[in-house]
Amino acid sequence: MLPTNTHILYPEFDYHAPTTLYEVTELLAQYGDSARVMAGGTDLLVQMKMERRQPSQVISLMHVNALQGISQNGSLDIGATTSIQEIHRRLPQLYALAEACNGFSSIQIMYMATLGGNLCNASPASDSAPPLLTYDARVTLKSKTAERVLPLERFFLGPGKTAMQPDELLAQISIPAPLPHSGSAFIKISRVVADISQVCAAARLTREGNTIRDARIALGSVAPTPVRAAGAERDLIGETFSPALAEKIGKQAAQEISPISDVRATREYRQQVAAVIVRDALLRAWERAQ
Amino acid sequence: MSYQILGNDYFRKDGIGKVTGREVYASDVTLPRMWHARVLRSPHAHARIKSIDARAAQELGAVVLTYADVPHLKYNERIVSIPPHLYRDRTVLADKARHVGEAVAAVAAPTEQLAEKALRALQVEWEILPHYTDPLAAQRADAEPIHDSYILNGQEIPVENNVAVTRVVQVGDIEEGFAQADHIFEREFVTSRIYHAQMETKSCVCDPAPDGSITVYPTTQSIHNVRQLLGEIFSIPLHKVNVKRVAIGGTFGSSIQMNSIIPICVALALKAKRPVKLVSTREEDMYDHVRYQTKLKLKIGVTREGKITAGHMQALADIGGHNIQAYALLSVLAGWTASLYNYPNLKFEGKAVYTNKTPSCALQGFGNPQATFAAESLMDEIATELDWDPIEFKLKNYVGLGGTFWGQGPSVQSIVRSDGVPQLLHDGAQKIGWRARPKPGTQTGRYRHGIGMARGFHTSGAGAPKPGEVIDYSGAFIKINEDGSVDIVHAMMDHGGGTLEAIAKIVAEELGVPIERVGISPADTLTTVYDVVTHATRGVYAGGGAAHKAAVKVKQQIFDYASRILGLQADSLMIEPDYELMQGVIYCPNFPERRITLGALAKQLQVNSWGTLAAVESLRQVNCPPAYVTYFIDLTVDTETGQVTTNRAAIGSDCGTVVNPAMAIGQLEGGLSKGMGYALVEDNQWDAQTGQLTSKGFWIDGKTPAISEAPFVENIITHFANTYEPSGPFGAKGIGEAATNPCAAAYANALYNALDIRFTELPITAEKILSALAAQDERASRASDYLENKVVAVMQAAE
Repeated sequence: MLPTNTHILYPEFDYHAPTTLYEVTELLAQYGDSARVMAGGTDLLVQMKMERRQPSQVISLMHVNALQGISQNGSLDIGATTSIQEIHRRLPQLYALAEACNGFSSIQIMYMATLGGNLCNASPASDSAPPLLTYDARVTLKSKTAERVLPLERFFLGPGKTAMQPDELLAQISIPAPLPHSGSAFIKISRVVADISQVCAAARLTREGNTIRDARIALGSVAPTPVRAAGAERDLIGETFSPALAEKIGKQAAQEISPISDVRATREYRQQVAAVIVRDALLRAWERAQ
Repeated sequence: MSYQILGNDYFRKDGIGKVTGREVYASDVTLPRMWHARVLRSPHAHARIKSIDARAAQELGAVVLTYADVPHLKYNERIVSIPPHLYRDRTVLADKARHVGEAVAAVAAPTEQLAEKALRALQVEWEILPHYTDPLAAQRADAEPIHDSYILNGQEIPVENNVAVTRVVQVGDIEEGFAQADHIFEREFVTSRIYHAQMETKSCVCDPAPDGSITVYPTTQSIHNVRQLLGEIFSIPLHKVNVKRVAIGGTFGSSIQMNSIIPICVALALKAKRPVKLVSTREEDMYDHVRYQTKLKLKIGVTREGKITAGHMQALADIGGHNIQAYALLSVLAGWTASLYNYPNLKFEGKAVYTNKTPSCALQGFGNPQATFAAESLMDEIATELDWDPIEFKLKNYVGLGGTFWGQGPSVQSIVRSDGVPQLLHDGAQKIGWRARPKPGTQTGRYRHGIGMARGFHTSGAGAPKPGEVIDYSGAFIKINEDGSVDIVHAMMDHGGGTLEAIAKIVAEELGVPIERVGISPADTLTTVYDVVTHATRGVYAGGGAAHKAAVKVKQQIFDYASRILGLQADSLMIEPDYELMQGVIYCPNFPERRITLGALAKQLQVNSWGTLAAVESLRQVNCPPAYVTYFIDLTVDTETGQVTTNRAAIGSDCGTVVNPAMAIGQLEGGLSKGMGYALVEDNQWDAQTGQLTSKGFWIDGKTPAISEAPFVENIITHFANTYEPSGPFGAKGIGEAATNPCAAAYANALYNALDIRFTELPITAEKILSALAAQDERASRASDYLENKVVAVMQAAE
């Protein structure tokens, strides 16, 4: 048989539509590995049609109001099922995240897809992950009996793999209040706009006059998970910003990654362009860090 | 010329149905007792089927169809070519898979879910054969034959070295021609294998009746050709085969042929004795059809004065697992080349080779985007090398007014009688700022700006004075209803471009009836006369021409009967729309008080039992006028990422009289979108190891540009030539395929303008741009090293 199909949802499964967080965690406690939660379904349903994932229990989160919305509580707390479109509309000051959400495939996907879903899918090409990594975002994982908070960096383990336990749910993404004089930017390179990235990068800079007080650089589609370029970040902090420095750091960040060649791009193209977009993201972030 | 109706924009007759989602496509057709079908498609690129065990599937209650259950008649799905040129190499289901995705069995069951389950229960034993994704490998002497033979005109012809067909076309003597040349230019161009990416995947519903007749609702561009082929394959007399026209969700040529799923659906329905629906998945559709991939070696000789003396094209087409219309493809590659420029001596040598890939078919332009990419790229280079403005050089050499145009290969030739090329090139150059374009090689820095130009055309239909190698005629039946409204019964398909809207306008204009009172009847093969197919940019010109011919006849009847009632000579009468009465009104200018509405006339005819005002006509156009197009592309290249941004485009069309202005503009904008994808990103690559698409058929890796990468609509400048085609209905000719043909060459020429680099392989991706820039840098530094060394050496010598 032709091994591909995105038309027919063949596997059979039970569908749950709980309305409270507790019910969700109860279902997860009961079904564990055989369950999969579904937010917008833009990744999960496709994977189920392709039979890459075959949960026997699908738990919809779309009726759990507690998981939706954005609130300020010192940190910025984003409910896991908040749509990409809402984030794009409501958080324009988080430049990198807003830019990532703006380039998020098509309009239809922007309305259906959710931030939590994008992270839990754990694609190396996730658009939302690099900006969130530069904001030092944390994720709140809830089970029936416990709750824990992880830095996003420790959440991703590999393509499609996260640190979540089978009975856990990603409930919230928290972004610490930004330091003053911070700016960020996100740049994505893809074959066509509605495609996933060949390479993408986010940068966040915090300035004190002309000195870089804090810096973050993160890249997507260049490693098994979204990654930070820690060495490049270190070499920025404490330095006086200049376009020449951005150029040098871009190249350095590109050396820190070891991308592969695949159907979307060659290793060489990814590495070459990573240097360019990291530099450009730094220049833009600096300009915004007024 | 001024018209009452032509040239005005109206709401589309099918508009509300389409925007509200109520329009009925093949996949929307649902009938009582209907079952659903799924097709077993080969995961192997080349494999013989040793056995299929269907017991488990049958136990699930499914009807199963294998090679043993279907007629073994070899057919060719595109019966546009006349029988002597119809290469028949396939059966309803294959006994051997010749490409991944080839249909080898099918099931029908009460639900699609159960059909899928039954499909998975089929046990196939395969004998894997060596497969070829490269046409050179497929031609090796020891290569496994993909086809042992095919049927041509009733004869079984063996296939040698997997070569499907070759064709040589010669005009004059190229050796002599090249001997007269002062300069000879030669380049090899490679074009990509893109998917049609039409919105609707191929679908079909078949409803068999107890008397042995069938009613079919297919995705198709030709209801009559589907009917005739089904009748032949299943040995059903044609009066018992009714093919209904349902709306089609775009095609770009993917349904010129009878789609291979249609006879599968019919065979299942006949076996199940109930209606069956078969809907292709997107992945199945991507394994079903692609544009012909070609390698084109083009050599052109030119005199010092800029006159072409000879041309030589060698074409290799990689056609995939079946020969849908490779003979016709080679013919048109020769024809488009011969019609772009005046070659006193021309030789075309074409070869089409089978490979174990998705079968190729026409895709908007049928060989023209390929031939024009090669010709217009090389012409730009020749002009630049000889220090000519490319516009002037092309105007000196192109085939225009009075020239011979090959509308569909050497057998379809006519004389050009309308030509808007000089106007289009002049207007386009002005609108884009051609004279202010950069000089190649003068820009440095990250972002480089370029303007490129290419011209081309498409034929309007495949009509000619002589019967050609392809069938080309249309028919229409027009009747006046008893209230003065008009029914047009026409078998033509409208792919969304507005062909039927145009036909309604042409009829309304001729009859002098408000467009609101002209209806397009639902069509099927029982109640319409033959129309070959909506392809070859023939809809308005040929389909509209047939409707016009019938309308002229009806109009004569109107005047004859009105003359009896009004007591005036028929020849003195006129008819024009009256928008207050919403009627055509028949009158004589000398006696304005003697008038009658068309409705009153038709009613009087009925009351008097005189009969119905109606006519049915067929029309073979005896010309195939070129629908010229010019393209100017203004772009910016980011030399650090290789990304190309289209800033502006100026697209000029010579479609004769513009019938549907808004839709004509839409065609040009759509042609840009399709052409941009072809130029810059789209390509279906095959994994040589597995013979599968590297995208695995997934849309995400189809890389089709979306509306967001097109320039803003105000930056797409469209303009039209002020021409009148004497042979067309009200002076109209075609536009659809022309709208995209020169686009890729215009991009390549704009990239040359920006970067001083010639790109000869499509698509020109960001990665190819970056590596070409790196090679350019390396050459430059080697050259400067060399120069430096030389200077040092000279200085040392001087010392």
